[in-house]
Amino acid sequence: MNPSGLEIRQSSAGVWGSATGQRNMAVVSKYIDTSTCIGCKACEVACQEWNDLHIVPTVQVGTYQTMPTLDANYWNLIKFREVEHDGNFSWLMRKDQCMHCADPGCLKACPAPGAIVQYENGIVDVNPDACIGCKMCETGCPFDVPRYAAKTDKMAKCTLCVDRVQVGTEPACIKACPTGCLHFGTKQDMLALADSRVDQLKRSGFAQAAVYDPPGVGGTGVITVLAHGDHPEWYGLPKDPHVPTGVRFWKNVLRPVGVIAFAAAFFAMVGHYLTFGPKKPREGADKPKGEGPV
Amino acid sequence: MREMAIPGQTPQTGVGDAAVVRAREKEDILVGEEIVRHRLASRVIHWAVALFFFVALLTGLPIWTPLFGWMATFFGGLNVCRWLHPWSGVAFAIASIVMFVHWLSDMRLKDADREWLTPRGIVRYFEYRGDDSQVGKYNGGQKLLFWFAELAMIGLLLTGLVIWFPERFGQGLRQTSYVVHDVAFILFFAMIIGHIYLGTAAEPGTFGSMVRGTVTKSWARLHHPKWYREVTGEQPRR
Repeated sequence: MNPSGLEIRQSSAGVWGSATGQRNMAVVSKYIDTSTCIGCKACEVACQEWNDLHIVPTVQVGTYQTMPTLDANYWNLIKFREVEHDGNFSWLMRKDQCMHCADPGCLKACPAPGAIVQYENGIVDVNPDACIGCKMCETGCPFDVPRYAAKTDKMAKCTLCVDRVQVGTEPACIKACPTGCLHFGTKQDMLALADSRVDQLKRSGFAQAAVYDPPGVGGTGVITVLAHGDHPEWYGLPKDPHVPTGVRFWKNVLRPVGVIAFAAAFFAMVGHYLTFGPKKPREGADKPKGEGPV
Repeated sequence: MREMAIPGQTPQTGVGDAAVVRAREKEDILVGEEIVRHRLASRVIHWAVALFFFVALLTGLPIWTPLFGWMATFFGGLNVCRWLHPWSGVAFAIASIVMFVHWLSDMRLKDADREWLTPRGIVRYFEYRGDDSQVGKYNGGQKLLFWFAELAMIGLLLTGLVIWFPERFGQGLRQTSYVVHDVAFILFFAMIIGHIYLGTAAEPGTFGSMVRGTVTKSWARLHHPKWYREVTGEQPRR
């Protein structure tokens, strides 16, 4: 496609598959350490600025959080959560955004060819030209990320700053983070970094610290270090996310079954016609005596 | 015996004749050598349901699987399908509700329709070995299609609304809706393939009853003998 490692590995609504497999690109990943996030929202501002997103009115939700959820014009949101547990209290902050799943539910659910693509480097991106605004990706996503914009009739979400990554730089949010809780690199490097941070946390008394890289979606292009790794739901993360069953059933079972059913019905009718022929009145049955016009 | 005398009229002619046209505004009456089976209102309702069904089907198939993506071209692309599909679905639902009111009294299942309720009976029908001597204006198969179409319409409408406005519903309902919407339309379309075949190639003369509104006496005697007796007051000779 272009020389910057953006061959398309998977495309939405591809019939015969679209894996290139020609180049061996390293999969990239963001690294988020929730334990060193101070909730400054520099990443939110950097995201808005780099992606030229319109200003969205903020909503007071009773915490420091900018608004209740992500928006078509707000792709990066720090979620502030307060959790009481075992007589303790935790004030948790997590950077919410597209997780760039290796097995993306949005891409699976999308009916428009090429509207959602996964590049060789693992970034899941939206192509607005092909998007038809049907909102099926909202149902396909296990993380409730894609947002429909009525103004454009298109879906929007974090692109992992593909336009920056493509030219060898890091995403805007990473660049803006003042504490170093955000990093960007190959997934391999980020996992190594996360593992060492988890070890550190364990030594500091967080025995359950873990890396959130859920296998149900093939791992994610955004890995998160959680001090309370046994309770991702405290951070607003699903415990075992996977591509929704309804979407998989539709794409993997109902689609082939339906096509076969249509073909079977058609050929059954053709077969019937060849075997039995049309059901016609007997020759001359219409003209018996005494049945003429009055 | 309800029969309509048309002075100076020879059988099988007079398509544009005012008297025949007037007569064909009624149903179940004899006009010359033909019997009016579907008056204008019945035909308009049937074709309205069929039109919206096919617009919804042909705009839905390319959304359902890219295998049928080429169909979107006929409507101006997938973007057009994305809004034409739900709206034609709404039109289909409205037309189906009108059809329900219009045909309800004719479509009540009776004892004579029992044959169609067993797979064996359906096979016998398709092998032309069924006993249709007690078949009235509509046979069991037509009635089953009517009831299935109305049921499918309700299912498709409700699940379609969930798929159309997902933000108002929970994840569980959205996923169930995909599955129910798919299963309903797959069964529906498969039945419609059979319906079209029986109404055209398999049973000549049937298609005309939905176009001109009339059937020949021999057609009525063959396919709907009890209805034939009711309309003409005659005993059929076979």
